[in-house]
Amino acid sequence: MKELPRDFDSREQLVEQVAGLSPWLDRRDVSPMIGGAAPAAERLRVMDPVAYGRTRNFLDGAVTCLSPYIRHGILTLDEVRNEALARSEQPARVEKLVQELAWRDYWQRVYARHPERIWNDVEPYKTGFSAADYATGLPADIAAGETGVGAIDQFIATLLRTGYLHNHCRMYLAAYVVHWRRIRWQAGARWFLHHLVDGDPASNNLSWQWVASTFANRPYIFNLDNLRKYASADINTSARDNAVLDASYEELSARLFPRLEVAA
Amino acid sequence: MSGLIWLHEDALRSDHPVFAAAGDGSPAFFVWDDAYLQAMDYGFKRLVFIYESLVELPVTILHGDQQTCLARLARQHGGSIYVPATPNQLLQNRIEHLQRDFDVVEVADTPFVELAREPDLGRFFRYWNKARKAAMSRGGGR
Ligand SMILES: Cc1cc2nc3c(=O)[nH]c(=O)nc-3n(C[C@H](O)[C@H](O)[C@H](O)COP(=O)(O)OP(=O)(O)OC[C@H]3O[C@@H](n4cnc5c(N)ncnc54)[C@H](O)[C@@H]3O)c2cc1C
Repeated sequence: MKELPRDFDSREQLVEQVAGLSPWLDRRDVSPMIGGAAPAAERLRVMDPVAYGRTRNFLDGAVTCLSPYIRHGILTLDEVRNEALARSEQPARVEKLVQELAWRDYWQRVYARHPERIWNDVEPYKTGFSAADYATGLPADIAAGETGVGAIDQFIATLLRTGYLHNHCRMYLAAYVVHWRRIRWQAGARWFLHHLVDGDPASNNLSWQWVASTFANRPYIFNLDNLRKYASADINTSARDNAVLDASYEELSARLFPRLEVAA
Repeated sequence: MSGLIWLHEDALRSDHPVFAAAGDGSPAFFVWDDAYLQAMDYGFKRLVFIYESLVELPVTILHGDQQTCLARLARQHGGSIYVPATPNQLLQNRIEHLQRDFDVVEVADTPFVELAREPDLGRFFRYWNKARKAAMSRGGGR
């Protein structure tokens, strides 16, 4: 039971300390998101809940990046909600952000009441496939961000480099893993939890189940048109580099869920 | 009421209600537990984020096994162990183990919404329909 140091001259020094404490890890990258109450307060200060309501689905929209602070209890949902309400005379204009905060509260309640749902399918897949049809391990090309699908590889690179992804990127990436590659959501969820600085058993795993359809009425998929609508300028949305995404929803649905078509 | 505070990674904040529950001057501890961090499978970025958050808090950071450290501290200090409530199953297991030998008080965080009845959790919108009004009020309807 040794006491660990709390005083450091620089971030580098603290990072050295953590490296010394974790010899079992090989990657040593540090996130641009810094822990602690002061960085959290700064993020809260620059939060723009009204712009959030209009732009949150866009990859360069006014999202808050508060997730690691909320995940680790540095900020409470109550505090963020109260601050959001204080920013507008009209509560309706900040409702979208409050509703997203409510998603976290909802997942946490599910976690507390049904802890077994974190790693088990809540319901069967609604894809025409059963769980046994999905592979259990994460393929190496996905882990390395070398799938050959331009936008997907960019999202993976961002995840590995920063430990953060925009909500829409998380949805795209999870859909690609589960539906395009037919991998069980658990493999993807485990991978995200390792890399995300805000990784949370409830928000992460239950969102993966939502994408997979084991905790939703239908699977979530997207196509290149949708990606182009929301992508920022730095994302490669060329048809050549994203061929597997470039189709109508009808075509994709028939391709990804052929048994559903037969049943229908 | 007196005792010690066991702060864990789900509550890295110095105004968490656990501090008030334990009473002024109660010492607070965080245990940096290799086996726990490996079981959670955290990457390096997360470990740095947690450590950065810790050094700003009024806690002593100890390196060791959570259960062993807490048991030893509880014997040294006497009184109860105050711990932030959490759905985290690994932490729950450790809390239950400690409860066999010590008085362990779990203290809930400030809620997002106060609801009269436990909501239906079948789908988000069933919960949201019940929670919306409180969620849109300062203090969550408290
Ligand atoms: C596959 C997948 C995995 C995810 N894994 C996690 C995770 O491990 N940890 C995590 O905190 N969130 C997770 N989310 C939810 C959401 O993507 C992130 O909370 C959000 O992108 C974090 O960025 P932000 O703080 O800028 O969010 P903002 O959009 O600015 O939202 C503000 C806050 O509201 C909460 N929130 C917003 N959307 C959601 C949501 N859909 N579910 C739960 N809480 C939400 C978060 O606490 C967030 O910090 C996941 C979503 C998907 C689709």
